Amino acid sequence: MHLKAFFFLAIILFGSCSSKENGNKELLYWSSNNAAEIDFTSDKVAQWNADTSHIKMSFQPIPEGQSSEEVILAAVVGRTTPDIYANMWQGSVELFAKAGKLIALDTLEGFKEFILERCGQKTLVEITSNDGHIYQVPWKINPIITLYNKAMVSKLDLDGMPTTYSKYLAAGAKASQDQDNNGYIDQWIGYTEVKVIWYQRFFNFYPLYLAASHGGALVKNNKAAFNNEYAIEVFRFLQELYKNNYFSKEQSAGGQDRLFMEGDILTQWTGPWSISHLDKFKPAGFEYDFFPMQVPDNHEGPIYTYADPKNIVLFNTCTQPQEAWNFVKTLITKEGDKQFLEISGQLPRRQNIDKDAFFQDYFVKNPKAITFAKQANFVKGTDNCEVIVEVFDIISQEYEACVIYNKKTPEAAIADAAAAVNLLLGN
Amino acid sequence: MKKKKWLPYLFVAPYLLHFLVFVAFPVLFSLVLTFHKWNIISPMEFTGLDNYTRMFRDKMFWKTIGNTIQFLLVHIPLQLIVALALAEFLNQNIKLKGFYRAAFFLPVIVSGVVVTILWQQLFGFDSGLFNRLLTNMGMDKVGWLIDPDIAMNSIAIMATWKNVGLYVILFLVGLQTVPPHYYEAADIEGATHWQKFRHITLPMINPTIFMVVILSTIGGFSLFIEPYVMTGGGPLNSTLSSVLYIYKQAFQYYHMGYSATLGFFFAFLILTVVMLQKRFIETEEVD
Repeated sequence: MHLKAFFFLAIILFGSCSSKENGNKELLYWSSNNAAEIDFTSDKVAQWNADTSHIKMSFQPIPEGQSSEEVILAAVVGRTTPDIYANMWQGSVELFAKAGKLIALDTLEGFKEFILERCGQKTLVEITSNDGHIYQVPWKINPIITLYNKAMVSKLDLDGMPTTYSKYLAAGAKASQDQDNNGYIDQWIGYTEVKVIWYQRFFNFYPLYLAASHGGALVKNNKAAFNNEYAIEVFRFLQELYKNNYFSKEQSAGGQDRLFMEGDILTQWTGPWSISHLDKFKPAGFEYDFFPMQVPDNHEGPIYTYADPKNIVLFNTCTQPQEAWNFVKTLITKEGDKQFLEISGQLPRRQNIDKDAFFQDYFVKNPKAITFAKQANFVKGTDNCEVIVEVFDIISQEYEACVIYNKKTPEAAIADAAAAVNLLLGN
Repeated sequence: MKKKKWLPYLFVAPYLLHFLVFVAFPVLFSLVLTFHKWNIISPMEFTGLDNYTRMFRDKMFWKTIGNTIQFLLVHIPLQLIVALALAEFLNQNIKLKGFYRAAFFLPVIVSGVVVTILWQQLFGFDSGLFNRLLTNMGMDKVGWLIDPDIAMNSIAIMATWKNVGLYVILFLVGLQTVPPHYYEAADIEGATHWQKFRHITLPMINPTIFMVVILSTIGGFSLFIEPYVMTGGGPLNSTLSSVLYIYKQAFQYYHMGYSATLGFFFAFLILTVVMLQKRFIETEEVD
């Protein structure tokens, strides 16, 4: 009698557990959870479902979590991944690919040719994993460049824009002021986050390193590749900024956006998201513009920067990868890219978007975005390394010791970071 | 009668199920994990005692132990002294006692993240309130959170402010259980206030002192929110607590096996410290 009751309860319990419906007739797409991308996705999904009868698409914004990476990790562990996910950070792809959780997209018909035409050879090489396969679709980028307060920078009476290390340091000397005469500097040339969190390097060290090294690697062939003059000079440049109090060491409450709008800092290293933010919140008469990251004085050639790329992936739980890819293609055609650009203000990772006549009307209406579009030809994401987060963490530790607290020379800091990374990679 | 034999088990079953699923299983699984390498998404790989040998060679982990002990050495005495002083104050015949009690307890119920963000502003080097007050008084600014030598002490001060209200209430209860005739007898003998405090109050509230020390110790070892929100473990890893380090190993680097090993060792360390405190602080109950 008791045994029967037990089995009855067990059946009810297990029977009520939901299982992911991933049959042959519907695919699930997770978009980012910002309003613009939800609108874009909603439209694309509706269009696909209207045009396609044999397989339907449904979508939802990625579930809430502290970060999208954590949500995806939980989904992978719980085997509740969607078929398609947009907004995958490039640095995470290698970890999931090595664990066999992603579909190799280069095995799908038409993939390589499509991506080559859209993004170019350089991007194709960048997104190719260490096993020779490609697991991600380059989707959008947010290049990091220098934002500046036009009025305050022109008041400094500089000899040209502060585009090189020495020019920026000279600007820093002029910009640093004690406005309230209390003996402490309260206006600086710029600000960047001082917390030693690995991803903060994407907004200071890493874009500067890419700028100086023409898009050089941090990790190459499973070895540290940054123990070079470029990384050393970036550390030295940043160290000088803090040593001379051209940058504040305080953690800013409202972030650098608040400091910039209040005129406490004259420049900021940021992405295109600042355009909509500033246009919404800037004081009347506040004028700003952008220019590339600072480079060594003897730099020649193009100036690269960090792309902050987010890409699209197909999880191995997808039973219809070819159809999923067919849907993804509709997001990243020229029409899809333009629609995305207009709705979200984020740049598709499409080569020569600044020169393509198809997109010109957008840049005419949004002139500030053209600087980012031009920069988009010289961007890079992260290297394909399973432990890239730890690599950046190691660099952050040395960054803090050298750049912020002047406890090490740049040469020693970079050498120690490279040694630690090589140990991490098993060399 | 026979039918009712299963009834107690039925009442205990929900909690037992909860305990098995959410406590026992995770602890046992974590113990198994300490002998494996696992990044959550790939299969587990048996590594024997590698995680343990790594732990003993991990200089950063031992630094975090030192950081946590530094925090405790400032936080516990400060907590004890301030809580006892405030409890003594509340134990007097004063007006608005209820208001003061509520005011002291309020930070306890405010979210730790909110309090941390608030104090981050107070501690700000360039624009924080504390440094503004100092400069207005003609003194130099203090690098509360940017000086590696004092950042952890700043966090200890903040943590004391946040939690002292709870211990004020505990001490207040303890003080109110001291029989008044001891003080009356001491008054007759001509004892000073300090003598009464030292020879009557302290011994009589020893169980409360012991409880406050234990709770502060366990709470202090769990230091996470403050360094996570305020400093990220900096400057120069001076505020990197052991729990924050274990968290980073697990959820930043996905070294689940290694972080489980650190967690077990840390739990053992806390148990050892608490046992030592029991040995040296707790005295026999005074009749």
